[in-house]
Amino acid sequence: MRLPILAKEPHAAGFQLRLLAAILLVILALTTLAFYFAQWKITAQAEKGFQRNFQAALSTLHQLQELRHATLTERCRLLAEKPRIHAALEDNALDLLYPSARDELHDLMVGDDRAYNQSSLSAKFYRFLGPNGSVLHPNRDDEVGDLDPAIEAQLSLSSLPQIPQVGYIEYTDKSTQNLAEVIAVPIFSTETGDPISALVVGFKPTDLVRATPDSGITSGLWVNNRLYGGLQHDVPRIVAENIAKAVADGGTDQNNLKVSAKGVSYLVFYKRLNPRSAFPAGYEICLYSLTGAKVQVNRLRWQIGTTSFFLFLGGLVASHFVSSQFSAPVEKLALDSERNREQRRRAEDALISTSEQLKRSTRYSADASHQLKSPVTILRSGIEALLERDKFQPEVYEELSALLHQTRRLTGVIDDLLLLSRMDAGHLIISRESINLSRVIDQWLDDLNALPDSAEIKIEKAYPSELWIRGEERYTSLIVQNLLENARKYNRPAGEILVRARTHDHSIIVTIGNTGSSIPQDAQPHIFKRFHYSSSTSGHGLGLNVARDLTRLHGGDIHLVRSSDDWTEFELRFPTAS
Amino acid sequence: MRPRHQVWLLFLLGSLLGRGSNAATIEGEVELPRSRPPAGIVAKRYEIVNQNGVLSTEPPLGVVYLDGSFPKPNSLPTKQIAQKDLRFMPSLLPVQVGTRVEFPNLDDVYHNIFSYSPAKRFDLGRYRSDERPIPSQVFEVPGLVTLRCEIHAHMRGLILVLSTPYFVVTQPNGRFRLDDLPEGRYTLKAWIDSKTTREKAVELRNGGTLHVDFL
Repeated sequence: MRLPILAKEPHAAGFQLRLLAAILLVILALTTLAFYFAQWKITAQAEKGFQRNFQAALSTLHQLQELRHATLTERCRLLAEKPRIHAALEDNALDLLYPSARDELHDLMVGDDRAYNQSSLSAKFYRFLGPNGSVLHPNRDDEVGDLDPAIEAQLSLSSLPQIPQVGYIEYTDKSTQNLAEVIAVPIFSTETGDPISALVVGFKPTDLVRATPDSGITSGLWVNNRLYGGLQHDVPRIVAENIAKAVADGGTDQNNLKVSAKGVSYLVFYKRLNPRSAFPAGYEICLYSLTGAKVQVNRLRWQIGTTSFFLFLGGLVASHFVSSQFSAPVEKLALDSERNREQRRRAEDALISTSEQLKRSTRYSADASHQLKSPVTILRSGIEALLERDKFQPEVYEELSALLHQTRRLTGVIDDLLLLSRMDAGHLIISRESINLSRVIDQWLDDLNALPDSAEIKIEKAYPSELWIRGEERYTSLIVQNLLENARKYNRPAGEILVRARTHDHSIIVTIGNTGSSIPQDAQPHIFKRFHYSSSTSGHGLGLNVARDLTRLHGGDIHLVRSSDDWTEFELRFPTAS
Repeated sequence: MRPRHQVWLLFLLGSLLGRGSNAATIEGEVELPRSRPPAGIVAKRYEIVNQNGVLSTEPPLGVVYLDGSFPKPNSLPTKQIAQKDLRFMPSLLPVQVGTRVEFPNLDDVYHNIFSYSPAKRFDLGRYRSDERPIPSQVFEVPGLVTLRCEIHAHMRGLILVLSTPYFVVTQPNGRFRLDDLPEGRYTLKAWIDSKTTREKAVELRNGGTLHVDFL
């Protein structure tokens, strides 16, 4: 931790702590997520791998099984085709059937050696079926393999099959209960082509457990709701029950299921060994214990857990480093920000002070104007009263007239100042009534014509009789008056005033041009400023300023179009009433 | 001289000789099943075929015989059915009861002729062409005997054991002629296949020729 900064700037230190906590939280969440997904993925993949191995091992076993079935079936079929057997069946010599078969099937039954007798390729018994599918009983000394009559009856079929059939039956061999795999091959008449008999041969079923000692698979046969083979001793009862249920409910010839018993999970695969057979169904059951797989998966989980822990530790260190790196500029930013805040506060204070000063100034000019207005009015009234008397010398009258003119001028200045101070204070509210600007201009042109020194000035006008704008008439009148009086005031003898107006793009544009001396080029940008004087003008410097401010309050504007070569022209623009 | 001329000459000679004796003659025709020769076979050989459990020769041949009881002769000539090219030759052999039939093997391979027929059960075992004496059997019980080979499952031969000495195998066109028959009332039978034997009552007079058709 950087304690000096903490001491100096508590906000910046808090940021570093929060950043560190946030990064730690993110790393913790990511590590947890990664751990969870990795172990989930690896468990799923491991299980898939076990399934795949299991299926591959099973596939090999099934190929062996199918090969064995095909071999045995073909062998039985070849034996059943023997001419003596056909002759016995076709030439009505059934008494010679089993004696003939004894010779033909001798090899299948006995074989050459003891090992063959123990193998699953050695036949344990055989019988022939008659035309109705029932067993043709042999004589005792026919060496066909002893069978209890009840078991022998299990070999009978409802009718002779058209294709080889595989079945599983229980039989007693040397007082031991055993399961036999029987293969029934049809015998077709060489004369009619119809099945006339079937040879049913019983074999010892293949022991898949012994066949695959290293595959981790145990297997057995499921016939008549019982398990046979090496499996029956290993399988917990609950697994057997699950298998029975799956076989009974499944309706399919093969399926996978996962069964747990006594804390051990098993992958179970069952497959009907004799689909579409006329004999009762026999299923091959293969079990794969997931104990070893579980140990492997747990080991993987531990490995992932340890890796995640170290990753988290690494993340801790990295986050501290990253938070230090990131917080440094932020601390600097915080300091800068504090300085900026101070500067802003000072600027705001200055602004408030200036605003107060402005307000005070506005109030002062308004108050001053009000205070001046009364004495000037009294002064003017007094001078007018003196002029009405006739006992003075003519020089005195002349002086008084000059005084009256100056007081009137002073009154005009005071009125303008009052109006401006109201505008500055924001107290001037313009009403929005319809005004015919043409009429206002007409009135003021008439007044101009009436003035004594205007006779020699030519006034021309070109505008429609109606130009409607929105505003307050006394102020629009004041605007027009200011501009027209300027046009007259600064005209030359025998000069000209031209007033034009037109409507253009929702605006009414009035241009007022006059002859006379031009406004100097350097003065042109300042003519609308308050108290602007130039050497060539005789006004008090408020008229144009008042006119422009009032026009802007009406939503319009004034500007100088040109002032050169004996022609000065202003353009006045108002929005139309519509 | 062409074979046809020889046949006619013998026939004429027989007629002249027989005219003086007391023997009767039956001639006629048996309607045989239509032949179903296997496609592609050029050489006309006779073999036993199965059609829905019925054994007959292919091309079809019949056996016409005079049924009745006749004194058994002291000795009968030995007949032969050879195994040649994995077939019985002839494939159909009518014999009188008590006839010995030899089964010479003319092939280079082993044969094992046996029969499980009720009329005669025998098994000659395996033997080659140099087997001496030639394996033989005496047929004492009338009936049809199916010959099989234990090694060659497709081989079939028929021996028709008859009580009468008067029998003849028809020509391929179904025509037959039985000479030197004793006079009297008899049943004339025509064996066509293992399941079909037709018969007609005939009355034979010495020196007469009876025309009987089994159509």
